[in-house]
Amino acid sequence: MPEKEEFLKLMKDKIGPAIDKKGRLYFEVSNEHILEVADYLFKKLGCRLSTATCMEMYRGIEVLYHFSHDATGQYFCPRVVMTDRENPQMNSISNIVTGAEWIEREMAEYWGVKFIGHPRPEPLLTKEHPKGEGLGQPFRIRRMS
Amino acid sequence: MNRNVIPVGPFHPLLEEAEYFTLTVDGETVVDIDLDIGWMHRGHELISERKTFTQSIYLVERICGICSTSHPIACVHAVEDVDNIEIPERAAYIRTLVGELERIHSHLLWLGLAGHFIGYDTVWMWAWKYREPVLQMFEIISGNRNHYGMMRVGGVAKDVDPARVPELLNILDMVDEKMHMIANAAKDDPVLKSRLKNVGILSKQAAIDYCAVGPTARASGVHTDVRKDEPNDAYGMVDFNEIVLENGDVYDKLVLRLLETLESTKICRQCLEKLSHSNGPILNNVKEIGVGEGIGRYEAPRGEVFHYIRSDGSNRPIRHKVRAPSYVNIPTFKASCKGIPVADALITLAAVDPCYCCTERALKIIDKNHDPFALDLLNLSRQKTEKIRRETYGAK
Repeated sequence: MPEKEEFLKLMKDKIGPAIDKKGRLYFEVSNEHILEVADYLFKKLGCRLSTATCMEMYRGIEVLYHFSHDATGQYFCPRVVMTDRENPQMNSISNIVTGAEWIEREMAEYWGVKFIGHPRPEPLLTKEHPKGEGLGQPFRIRRMS
Repeated sequence: MNRNVIPVGPFHPLLEEAEYFTLTVDGETVVDIDLDIGWMHRGHELISERKTFTQSIYLVERICGICSTSHPIACVHAVEDVDNIEIPERAAYIRTLVGELERIHSHLLWLGLAGHFIGYDTVWMWAWKYREPVLQMFEIISGNRNHYGMMRVGGVAKDVDPARVPELLNILDMVDEKMHMIANAAKDDPVLKSRLKNVGILSKQAAIDYCAVGPTARASGVHTDVRKDEPNDAYGMVDFNEIVLENGDVYDKLVLRLLETLESTKICRQCLEKLSHSNGPILNNVKEIGVGEGIGRYEAPRGEVFHYIRSDGSNRPIRHKVRAPSYVNIPTFKASCKGIPVADALITLAAVDPCYCCTERALKIIDKNHDPFALDLLNLSRQKTEKIRRETYGAK
Protein backbone atom coordinates (compact mmCIF):
# COMPACT_ATOMS: atom_id res chain seq x y z
CA MET A 1 0.00 0.00 0.00
CA PRO A 2 1.92 3.09 -1.21
CA GLU A 3 0.24 5.55 1.18
CA LYS A 4 1.27 3.54 4.22
CA GLU A 5 4.83 3.01 2.97
CA GLU A 6 5.22 6.69 2.21
CA PHE A 7 3.80 7.66 5.59
CA LEU A 8 6.18 5.32 7.42
CA LYS A 9 9.12 6.62 5.37
CA LEU A 10 8.33 10.29 5.94
CA MET A 11 7.41 9.96 9.61
CA LYS A 12 9.98 7.39 10.70
CA ASP A 13 11.67 9.87 13.06
CA LYS A 14 8.40 11.09 14.51
CA ILE A 15 6.61 7.89 15.36
CA GLY A 16 7.39 5.23 17.93
CA PRO A 17 6.64 1.50 18.09
CA ALA A 18 4.03 0.42 15.52
CA ILE A 19 1.67 -2.53 15.16
CA ASP A 20 1.04 -3.21 11.50
CA LYS A 21 -1.79 -5.61 10.78
CA LYS A 22 -4.10 -6.11 7.82
CA GLY A 23 -5.55 -2.69 7.02
CA ARG A 24 -4.62 -1.23 10.41
CA LEU A 25 -1.54 0.68 11.53
CA TYR A 26 -1.37 1.50 15.24
CA PHE A 27 1.63 3.58 16.25
CA GLU A 28 2.83 5.75 19.09
CA VAL A 29 3.43 9.46 18.70
CA SER A 30 4.84 11.88 21.22
CA ASN A 31 2.77 14.90 22.15
CA GLU A 32 5.16 17.24 20.33
CA HIS A 33 4.68 15.39 17.02
CA ILE A 34 0.94 14.66 17.10
CA LEU A 35 0.03 17.90 15.31
CA GLU A 36 2.46 17.20 12.48
CA VAL A 37 1.23 13.62 12.12
CA ALA A 38 -2.44 14.68 12.21
CA ASP A 39 -1.78 17.40 9.66
CA TYR A 40 -0.10 14.95 7.30
CA LEU A 41 -2.85 12.32 7.67
CA PHE A 42 -5.75 14.75 7.30
CA LYS A 43 -4.49 17.31 4.81
CA LYS A 44 -1.83 15.55 2.74
CA LEU A 45 -3.16 11.99 2.75
CA GLY A 46 -6.85 12.97 2.76
CA CYS A 47 -7.79 10.77 5.70
CA ARG A 48 -11.05 11.21 7.59
CA LEU A 49 -11.07 11.16 11.40
CA SER A 50 -13.51 8.45 12.47
CA THR A 51 -13.17 9.18 16.15
CA ALA A 52 -10.72 8.90 19.05
CA THR A 53 -10.62 6.50 21.99
CA CYS A 54 -9.34 7.31 25.45
CA MET A 55 -8.17 4.52 27.73
CA GLU A 56 -6.56 4.27 31.13
CA MET A 57 -3.84 1.65 30.81
CA TYR A 58 -0.96 0.60 33.04
CA ARG A 59 1.42 3.09 31.42
CA GLY A 60 -0.93 6.02 31.81
CA ILE A 61 -3.80 7.59 29.92
CA GLU A 62 -3.83 6.86 26.19
CA VAL A 63 -5.57 8.82 23.45
CA LEU A 64 -5.87 6.81 20.24
CA TYR A 65 -7.03 8.64 17.11
CA HIS A 66 -8.60 6.65 14.28
CA PHE A 67 -7.91 8.12 10.84
CA SER A 68 -9.57 6.32 7.95
CA HIS A 69 -8.05 6.45 4.48
CA ASP A 70 -11.31 5.83 2.67
CA ALA A 71 -9.78 5.34 -0.76
CA THR A 72 -7.95 2.21 0.43
CA GLY A 73 -9.78 1.18 3.62
CA GLN A 74 -6.54 1.56 5.62
CA TYR A 75 -6.70 2.85 9.20
CA PHE A 76 -3.92 5.00 10.68
CA CYS A 77 -4.14 5.13 14.46
CA PRO A 78 -1.69 7.45 16.24
CA ARG A 79 -1.52 6.88 19.98
CA VAL A 80 -0.44 9.51 22.52
CA VAL A 81 0.40 8.20 26.00
CA MET A 82 0.29 10.54 28.99
CA THR A 83 2.10 9.12 31.98
CA ASP A 84 1.05 11.88 34.37
CA ARG A 85 -2.31 10.46 35.44
CA GLU A 86 -3.10 13.34 37.77
CA ASN A 87 -2.60 16.04 35.17
CA PRO A 88 -2.90 14.51 31.70
CA GLN A 89 -2.55 17.03 28.89
CA MET A 90 -1.74 17.01 25.21
CA ASN A 91 -2.05 19.17 22.11
CA SER A 92 -5.49 19.43 20.56
CA ILE A 93 -5.81 18.49 16.88
CA SER A 94 -9.16 20.32 16.57
CA ASN A 95 -7.54 23.29 14.86
CA ILE A 96 -6.41 20.93 12.10
CA VAL A 97 -9.43 18.59 12.04
CA THR A 98 -12.69 20.39 12.83
CA GLY A 99 -14.35 17.00 13.26
CA ALA A 100 -12.19 16.31 16.33
CA GLU A 101 -13.81 19.09 18.35
CA TRP A 102 -16.60 17.07 19.96
CA ILE A 103 -14.63 13.95 20.74
CA GLU A 104 -11.82 15.95 22.36
CA ARG A 105 -14.34 17.82 24.49
CA GLU A 106 -15.87 14.50 25.48
CA MET A 107 -12.49 13.01 26.40
CA ALA A 108 -11.61 16.12 28.40
CA GLU A 109 -14.87 15.77 30.27
CA TYR A 110 -14.73 12.03 30.90
CA TRP A 111 -11.06 11.39 31.41
CA GLY A 112 -9.78 14.71 32.66
CA VAL A 113 -7.40 15.15 29.71
CA LYS A 114 -6.58 18.79 29.01
CA PHE A 115 -6.37 19.45 25.26
CA ILE A 116 -4.06 22.42 24.83
CA GLY A 117 -5.21 24.86 22.16
CA HIS A 118 -8.73 23.44 21.84
CA PRO A 119 -10.92 26.12 20.22
CA ARG A 120 -13.81 25.54 22.60
CA PRO A 121 -12.63 23.93 25.85
CA GLU A 122 -15.99 23.58 27.57
CA PRO A 123 -18.02 20.52 28.57
CA LEU A 124 -19.94 18.85 25.77
CA LEU A 125 -22.32 16.75 27.82
CA THR A 126 -22.54 18.24 31.30
CA LYS A 127 -22.63 21.93 30.42
CA GLU A 128 -26.26 22.32 31.46
CA HIS A 129 -26.11 19.80 34.29
CA PRO A 130 -26.95 20.93 37.80
CA LYS A 131 -23.84 21.69 39.77
CA GLY A 132 -23.63 20.82 43.41
CA GLU A 133 -23.89 17.44 44.97
CA GLY A 134 -21.63 15.05 43.17
CA LEU A 135 -21.22 16.91 39.92
CA GLY A 136 -19.14 19.89 41.03
CA GLN A 137 -15.88 20.06 42.94
CA PRO A 138 -14.26 18.23 44.60
CA PHE A 139 -15.45 15.36 42.43
CA ARG A 140 -13.43 14.67 39.37
CA ILE A 141 -15.33 13.36 36.40
CA ARG A 142 -13.00 10.84 34.91
CA ARG A 143 -14.83 7.92 33.43
CA MET A 144 -18.32 8.21 32.19
CA SER A 145 -18.95 6.51 28.87
CA MET B 1 -28.99 44.49 14.06
CA ASN B 2 -31.95 42.90 15.87
CA ARG B 3 -30.94 39.39 16.85
CA ASN B 4 -33.08 36.93 18.77
CA VAL B 5 -32.45 33.48 20.11
CA ILE B 6 -34.88 30.62 19.47
CA PRO B 7 -34.36 27.59 21.69
CA VAL B 8 -35.39 24.26 20.15
CA GLY B 9 -35.63 21.58 22.79
CA PRO B 10 -34.41 19.98 24.92
CA PHE B 11 -37.84 18.35 24.78
CA HIS B 12 -39.40 19.71 21.66
CA PRO B 13 -42.88 18.36 20.94
CA LEU B 14 -42.20 17.59 17.29
CA LEU B 15 -38.86 15.85 17.57
CA GLU B 16 -38.89 12.40 19.11
CA GLU B 17 -35.70 12.60 21.11
CA ALA B 18 -34.05 14.94 23.58
CA GLU B 19 -31.83 17.43 21.82
CA TYR B 20 -31.25 21.12 22.21
CA PHE B 21 -30.45 23.65 19.51
CA THR B 22 -30.09 27.37 20.03
CA LEU B 23 -30.87 29.21 16.83
CA THR B 24 -29.70 32.82 16.66
CA VAL B 25 -31.87 34.65 14.13
CA ASP B 26 -31.67 38.01 12.49
CA GLY B 27 -35.22 38.66 11.34
CA GLU B 28 -36.17 35.42 9.58
CA THR B 29 -32.62 34.31 8.87
CA VAL B 30 -30.61 31.90 11.00
CA VAL B 31 -27.21 33.47 11.59
CA ASP B 32 -25.80 31.03 14.11
CA ILE B 33 -26.61 27.73 15.75
CA ASP B 34 -25.32 26.13 18.90
CA LEU B 35 -25.75 22.46 19.63
CA ASP B 36 -26.04 20.87 22.99
CA ILE B 37 -26.18 17.18 23.73
CA GLY B 38 -26.07 15.29 27.02
CA TRP B 39 -29.80 15.11 27.72
CA MET B 40 -29.94 11.33 27.75
CA HIS B 41 -27.58 9.20 29.74
CA ARG B 42 -26.47 5.97 28.13
CA GLY B 43 -23.72 3.69 29.37
CA HIS B 44 -23.05 1.15 26.68
CA GLU B 45 -19.29 1.46 26.56
CA LEU B 46 -18.85 0.96 30.28
CA ILE B 47 -21.51 -1.76 30.55
CA SER B 48 -19.92 -3.62 27.63
CA GLU B 49 -16.64 -3.88 29.54
CA ARG B 50 -18.50 -5.95 32.12
CA LYS B 51 -20.09 -8.27 29.55
CA THR B 52 -18.65 -11.14 27.54
CA PHE B 53 -18.04 -10.57 23.84
CA THR B 54 -21.26 -12.41 22.97
CA GLN B 55 -23.30 -10.48 25.54
CA SER B 56 -21.89 -7.20 24.19
CA ILE B 57 -23.47 -7.93 20.81
CA TYR B 58 -26.94 -8.01 22.41
CA LEU B 59 -26.10 -4.86 24.35
CA VAL B 60 -25.03 -2.80 21.33
CA GLU B 61 -28.07 -4.05 19.41
CA ARG B 62 -30.10 -1.96 21.83
CA ILE B 63 -28.19 1.28 21.27
CA CYS B 64 -30.62 2.14 18.50
CA GLY B 65 -33.95 0.77 17.37
CA ILE B 66 -33.38 1.71 13.74
CA CYS B 67 -29.71 0.70 13.38
CA SER B 68 -30.30 -2.39 15.48
CA THR B 69 -28.19 -4.58 13.21
CA SER B 70 -25.53 -2.03 12.19
CA HIS B 71 -24.07 -1.78 15.70
CA PRO B 72 -23.90 -5.60 16.14
CA ILE B 73 -22.26 -6.00 12.71
CA ALA B 74 -19.65 -3.35 13.55
CA CYS B 75 -19.14 -4.94 16.97
CA VAL B 76 -18.52 -8.44 15.59
CA HIS B 77 -16.25 -6.95 12.91
CA ALA B 78 -14.18 -5.35 15.69
CA VAL B 79 -13.88 -8.59 17.65
CA GLU B 80 -13.07 -10.51 14.48
CA ASP B 81 -10.45 -7.88 13.61
CA VAL B 82 -8.60 -8.57 16.88
CA ASP B 83 -7.78 -12.12 15.76
CA ASN B 84 -8.40 -11.92 11.99
CA ILE B 85 -11.33 -14.33 12.29
CA GLU B 86 -12.92 -15.40 9.00
CA ILE B 87 -16.62 -16.12 8.58
CA PRO B 88 -18.37 -18.67 6.31
CA GLU B 89 -19.59 -17.42 2.93
CA ARG B 90 -23.22 -18.15 3.73
CA ALA B 91 -22.96 -16.10 6.92
CA ALA B 92 -21.49 -13.23 4.90
CA TYR B 93 -24.52 -13.19 2.58
CA ILE B 94 -26.94 -13.34 5.51
CA ARG B 95 -25.20 -10.44 7.27
CA THR B 96 -25.32 -8.37 4.09
CA LEU B 97 -28.98 -9.24 3.47
CA VAL B 98 -30.03 -8.17 6.98
CA GLY B 99 -27.91 -5.01 6.81
CA GLU B 100 -29.39 -3.92 3.50
CA LEU B 101 -32.98 -4.62 4.58
CA GLU B 102 -32.26 -2.36 7.52
CA ARG B 103 -31.06 0.36 5.16
CA ILE B 104 -34.33 0.13 3.18
CA HIS B 105 -36.56 0.40 6.24
CA SER B 106 -34.44 3.17 7.77
CA HIS B 107 -34.44 5.29 4.60
CA LEU B 108 -38.22 4.81 4.25
CA LEU B 109 -38.66 5.82 7.88
CA TRP B 110 -36.64 8.99 7.27
CA LEU B 111 -38.52 9.74 4.05
CA GLY B 112 -41.83 9.52 5.91
CA LEU B 113 -40.62 11.78 8.71
CA ALA B 114 -39.17 14.28 6.25
CA GLY B 115 -42.53 14.43 4.44
CA HIS B 116 -44.30 14.91 7.77
CA PHE B 117 -41.92 17.71 8.83
CA ILE B 118 -42.59 19.73 5.71
CA GLY B 119 -46.34 19.15 5.88
CA TYR B 120 -46.44 16.63 3.05
CA ASP B 121 -48.20 13.76 4.75
CA THR B 122 -48.83 11.82 1.54
CA VAL B 123 -45.10 11.08 1.38
CA TRP B 124 -45.20 10.03 5.02
CA MET B 125 -48.11 7.61 4.49
CA TRP B 126 -46.66 6.08 1.33
CA ALA B 127 -43.19 5.62 2.77
CA TRP B 128 -44.39 4.02 5.97
CA LYS B 129 -46.95 1.86 4.17
CA TYR B 130 -44.23 0.26 2.07
CA ARG B 131 -41.82 0.00 5.01
CA GLU B 132 -44.17 -2.51 6.59
CA PRO B 133 -43.40 -5.40 4.15
CA VAL B 134 -39.68 -4.94 4.90
CA LEU B 135 -40.40 -5.52 8.58
CA GLN B 136 -42.36 -8.65 7.56
CA MET B 137 -39.22 -9.86 5.77
CA PHE B 138 -37.28 -9.41 9.00
CA GLU B 139 -39.90 -11.44 10.82
CA ILE B 140 -39.57 -14.26 8.29
CA ILE B 141 -35.77 -14.22 8.51
CA SER B 142 -35.19 -13.70 12.22
CA GLY B 143 -38.53 -14.07 13.98
CA ASN B 144 -38.43 -10.41 15.02
CA ARG B 145 -39.48 -7.19 13.36
CA ASN B 146 -36.69 -5.37 15.19
CA HIS B 147 -33.66 -6.36 17.27
CA TYR B 148 -33.03 -9.42 15.15
CA GLY B 149 -30.35 -11.12 17.27
CA MET B 150 -28.64 -12.40 14.11
CA MET B 151 -24.98 -11.55 14.68
CA ARG B 152 -22.31 -13.72 16.29
CA VAL B 153 -18.54 -13.53 16.34
CA GLY B 154 -17.56 -15.86 13.49
CA GLY B 155 -20.85 -15.78 11.59
CA VAL B 156 -24.56 -15.47 12.24
CA ALA B 157 -26.95 -17.05 14.73
CA LYS B 158 -29.79 -18.02 12.40
CA ASP B 159 -29.90 -19.43 8.89
CA VAL B 160 -32.27 -18.32 6.15
CA ASP B 161 -34.55 -21.21 5.24
CA PRO B 162 -34.09 -21.80 1.47
CA ALA B 163 -37.76 -22.86 1.27
CA ARG B 164 -38.84 -19.36 2.26
CA VAL B 165 -36.59 -17.54 -0.17
CA PRO B 166 -39.26 -17.39 -2.95
CA GLU B 167 -41.64 -15.72 -0.49
CA LEU B 168 -38.94 -13.21 0.47
CA LEU B 169 -38.18 -12.53 -3.21
CA ASN B 170 -41.87 -11.89 -3.91
CA ILE B 171 -42.05 -9.30 -1.12
CA LEU B 172 -38.77 -7.77 -2.32
CA ASP B 173 -40.17 -7.48 -5.88
CA MET B 174 -43.21 -5.63 -4.54
CA VAL B 175 -41.03 -3.31 -2.41
CA ASP B 176 -38.75 -2.68 -5.40
CA GLU B 177 -41.72 -1.78 -7.63
CA LYS B 178 -43.13 0.60 -5.03
CA MET B 179 -39.72 2.14 -4.38
CA HIS B 180 -39.34 2.91 -8.08
CA MET B 181 -42.79 4.48 -7.99
CA ILE B 182 -41.97 6.63 -4.93
CA ALA B 183 -38.54 7.59 -6.29
CA ASN B 184 -39.97 8.70 -9.63
CA ALA B 185 -42.86 10.54 -7.98
CA ALA B 186 -40.57 12.31 -5.51
CA LYS B 187 -38.03 13.27 -8.15
CA ASP B 188 -40.73 14.75 -10.40
CA ASP B 189 -42.78 16.42 -7.67
CA PRO B 190 -42.62 20.21 -8.12
CA VAL B 191 -43.60 20.92 -4.50
CA LEU B 192 -40.86 18.74 -3.04
CA LYS B 193 -38.35 20.17 -5.47
CA SER B 194 -39.15 23.81 -4.77
CA ARG B 195 -39.40 23.14 -1.02
CA LEU B 196 -36.09 21.27 -0.65
CA LYS B 197 -33.85 22.33 -3.53
CA ASN B 198 -30.98 24.61 -2.40
CA VAL B 199 -32.12 24.33 1.23
CA GLY B 200 -29.52 23.64 3.96
CA ILE B 201 -26.55 23.19 1.64
CA LEU B 202 -23.54 21.44 3.13
CA SER B 203 -20.53 22.16 0.93
CA LYS B 204 -18.07 19.43 0.04
CA GLN B 205 -15.29 21.16 1.97
CA ALA B 206 -17.47 21.50 5.09
CA ALA B 207 -18.40 17.81 4.88
CA ILE B 208 -14.68 16.92 4.71
CA ASP B 209 -13.76 19.31 7.54
CA TYR B 210 -16.44 17.94 9.86
CA CYS B 211 -15.56 14.34 8.85
CA ALA B 212 -19.20 13.73 7.89
CA VAL B 213 -20.22 10.23 6.88
CA GLY B 214 -22.98 8.39 5.03
CA PRO B 215 -25.67 10.10 2.95
CA THR B 216 -24.79 13.43 4.59
CA ALA B 217 -21.29 13.30 3.08
CA ARG B 218 -22.20 11.54 -0.17
CA ALA B 219 -24.90 14.12 -0.99
CA SER B 220 -22.10 16.72 -0.83
CA GLY B 221 -19.88 14.88 -3.29
CA VAL B 222 -17.64 13.06 -0.79
CA HIS B 223 -16.87 9.44 -1.66
CA THR B 224 -17.14 7.61 1.64
CA ASP B 225 -18.95 4.31 1.86
CA VAL B 226 -17.60 1.49 4.04
CA ARG B 227 -19.26 -1.04 1.71
CA LYS B 228 -16.89 0.07 -1.06
CA ASP B 229 -13.91 1.28 1.01
CA GLU B 230 -13.53 -1.88 3.07
CA PRO B 231 -15.89 -4.47 1.56
CA ASN B 232 -16.55 -6.82 4.47
CA ASP B 233 -19.03 -9.68 4.49
CA ALA B 234 -20.56 -10.16 1.03
CA TYR B 235 -20.10 -6.61 -0.25
CA GLY B 236 -17.10 -7.67 -2.31
CA MET B 237 -19.20 -10.39 -3.98
CA VAL B 238 -22.31 -8.42 -5.00
CA ASP B 239 -22.84 -5.79 -7.66
CA PHE B 240 -24.02 -2.34 -6.57
CA ASN B 241 -23.22 1.32 -7.10
CA GLU B 242 -22.11 3.92 -4.58
CA ILE B 243 -24.49 6.86 -5.00
CA VAL B 244 -22.76 10.24 -4.79
CA LEU B 245 -24.47 13.57 -5.55
CA GLU B 246 -23.00 17.04 -5.67
CA ASN B 247 -25.26 19.82 -4.40
CA GLY B 248 -25.35 18.90 -0.69
CA ASP B 249 -28.86 20.29 -0.10
CA VAL B 250 -31.81 18.56 1.51
CA TYR B 251 -33.22 17.58 -1.89
CA ASP B 252 -30.00 15.75 -2.80
CA LYS B 253 -30.05 13.95 0.53
CA LEU B 254 -33.62 12.82 -0.21
CA VAL B 255 -32.84 11.68 -3.77
CA LEU B 256 -29.66 9.96 -2.60
CA ARG B 257 -31.55 7.93 -0.01
CA LEU B 258 -34.18 6.92 -2.58
CA LEU B 259 -31.50 5.80 -5.04
CA GLU B 260 -29.65 3.95 -2.28
CA THR B 261 -32.83 2.09 -1.43
CA LEU B 262 -33.01 0.83 -5.01
CA GLU B 263 -29.36 -0.28 -4.78
CA SER B 264 -30.19 -2.07 -1.53
CA THR B 265 -33.03 -4.04 -3.11
CA LYS B 266 -30.54 -5.04 -5.83
CA ILE B 267 -28.07 -6.29 -3.19
CA CYS B 268 -30.83 -8.13 -1.27
CA ARG B 269 -31.94 -9.91 -4.44
CA GLN B 270 -28.39 -11.10 -5.16
CA CYS B 271 -28.01 -12.33 -1.58
CA LEU B 272 -31.32 -14.18 -1.62
CA GLU B 273 -30.57 -15.84 -4.96
CA LYS B 274 -27.22 -16.99 -3.61
CA LEU B 275 -28.80 -18.29 -0.39
CA SER B 276 -31.54 -20.15 -2.29
CA HIS B 277 -29.16 -22.51 -4.08
CA SER B 278 -26.25 -22.85 -1.70
CA ASN B 279 -25.69 -24.54 1.58
CA GLY B 280 -23.02 -24.58 4.21
CA PRO B 281 -22.15 -23.55 7.74
CA ILE B 282 -23.25 -20.20 9.11
CA LEU B 283 -20.94 -19.98 12.12
CA ASN B 284 -17.28 -20.73 12.72
CA ASN B 285 -16.54 -21.99 16.19
CA VAL B 286 -14.57 -19.25 17.91
CA LYS B 287 -13.32 -20.51 21.25
CA GLU B 288 -11.37 -17.52 22.49
CA ILE B 289 -10.27 -14.03 21.55
CA GLY B 290 -6.58 -13.27 21.86
CA VAL B 291 -4.76 -10.20 23.12
CA GLY B 292 -4.94 -7.19 20.83
CA GLU B 293 -7.09 -4.45 19.43
CA GLY B 294 -9.56 -4.38 16.59
CA ILE B 295 -11.57 -1.89 14.57
CA GLY B 296 -14.97 -2.80 13.22
CA ARG B 297 -17.14 -0.64 11.07
CA TYR B 298 -20.25 -0.93 9.01
CA GLU B 299 -22.07 1.39 6.66
CA ALA B 300 -25.28 1.95 8.62
CA PRO B 301 -28.17 3.80 6.93
CA ARG B 302 -26.91 7.06 8.47
CA GLY B 303 -23.22 6.40 7.74
CA GLU B 304 -20.23 4.66 9.21
CA VAL B 305 -20.78 2.98 12.58
CA PHE B 306 -17.43 2.58 14.31
CA HIS B 307 -16.51 0.15 17.09
CA TYR B 308 -13.10 -0.31 18.69
CA ILE B 309 -12.37 -3.29 20.91
CA ARG B 310 -9.30 -3.88 23.04
CA SER B 311 -8.87 -7.35 24.44
CA ASP B 312 -6.53 -8.68 27.12
CA GLY B 313 -7.21 -12.28 26.18
CA SER B 314 -10.09 -12.74 28.62
CA ASN B 315 -13.69 -13.26 27.55
CA ARG B 316 -14.60 -9.57 27.72
CA PRO B 317 -13.25 -6.33 26.27
CA ILE B 318 -11.14 -4.05 28.43
CA ARG B 319 -12.21 -1.11 26.25
CA HIS B 320 -15.14 -0.86 23.87
CA LYS B 321 -15.50 2.40 21.99
CA VAL B 322 -18.70 3.09 20.06
CA ARG B 323 -19.14 5.97 17.65
CA ALA B 324 -22.45 6.31 15.84
CA PRO B 325 -22.69 8.26 12.56
CA SER B 326 -24.87 11.02 14.04
CA TYR B 327 -22.02 11.96 16.39
CA VAL B 328 -20.06 13.33 13.43
CA ASN B 329 -23.02 14.36 11.27
CA ILE B 330 -24.83 16.53 13.84
CA PRO B 331 -21.97 19.10 14.13
CA THR B 332 -22.36 19.81 10.38
CA PHE B 333 -25.44 21.88 11.31
CA LYS B 334 -22.95 24.63 12.11
CA ALA B 335 -22.20 24.78 8.39
CA SER B 336 -25.56 23.90 6.82
CA CYS B 337 -27.95 25.99 8.95
CA LYS B 338 -26.31 29.41 8.69
CA GLY B 339 -28.09 31.77 6.34
CA ILE B 340 -31.27 29.74 5.89
CA PRO B 341 -34.79 30.96 6.80
CA VAL B 342 -36.14 29.75 10.15
CA ALA B 343 -38.88 27.82 8.35
CA ASP B 344 -36.23 25.67 6.68
CA ALA B 345 -34.30 25.00 9.88
CA LEU B 346 -36.34 21.99 10.96
CA ILE B 347 -36.01 20.04 7.72
CA THR B 348 -32.30 20.94 7.55
CA LEU B 349 -31.82 19.61 11.08
CA ALA B 350 -33.73 16.47 10.12
CA ALA B 351 -31.90 15.99 6.81
CA VAL B 352 -28.90 14.22 8.35
CA ASP B 353 -31.35 11.72 9.88
CA PRO B 354 -29.99 12.41 13.36
CA CYS B 355 -30.24 9.75 16.01
CA TYR B 356 -29.69 11.10 19.49
CA CYS B 357 -29.95 7.83 21.37
CA CYS B 358 -26.98 6.62 19.26
CA THR B 359 -25.09 9.84 19.82
CA GLU B 360 -25.54 10.22 23.54
CA ARG B 361 -23.00 9.05 26.04
CA ALA B 362 -23.24 8.32 29.76
CA LEU B 363 -22.20 9.58 33.10
CA LYS B 364 -20.14 7.91 35.73
CA ILE B 365 -18.47 9.81 38.49
CA ILE B 366 -15.39 8.69 40.31
CA ASP B 367 -14.72 10.23 43.68
CA LYS B 368 -11.07 9.52 44.28
CA ASN B 369 -11.55 9.30 48.01
CA HIS B 370 -14.30 6.72 47.90
CA ASP B 371 -15.30 3.52 46.24
CA PRO B 372 -15.47 4.39 42.54
CA PHE B 373 -18.74 2.53 42.07
CA ALA B 374 -20.51 4.04 45.07
CA LEU B 375 -21.25 7.43 43.58
CA ASP B 376 -23.37 7.01 40.54
CA LEU B 377 -26.30 9.17 39.54
CA LEU B 378 -28.86 6.75 40.87
CA ASN B 379 -27.27 6.86 44.30
CA LEU B 380 -26.98 10.64 44.17
CA SER B 381 -30.66 10.86 43.29
CA ARG B 382 -31.64 8.50 46.10
CA GLN B 383 -29.41 10.33 48.58
CA LYS B 384 -31.04 13.62 47.69
CA THR B 385 -34.51 12.14 48.19
CA GLU B 386 -33.43 10.76 51.52
CA LYS B 387 -32.04 14.16 52.55
CA ILE B 388 -35.32 15.90 51.67
CA ARG B 389 -37.30 13.19 53.43
CA ARG B 390 -35.28 13.69 56.60
CA GLU B 391 -35.64 17.48 56.42
CA THR B 392 -39.40 17.15 55.91
CA TYR B 393 -40.26 14.42 58.37
CA GLY B 394 -37.26 14.49 60.67
CA ALA B 395 -34.61 11.81 61.05
CA LYS B 396 -36.15 8.39 61.71
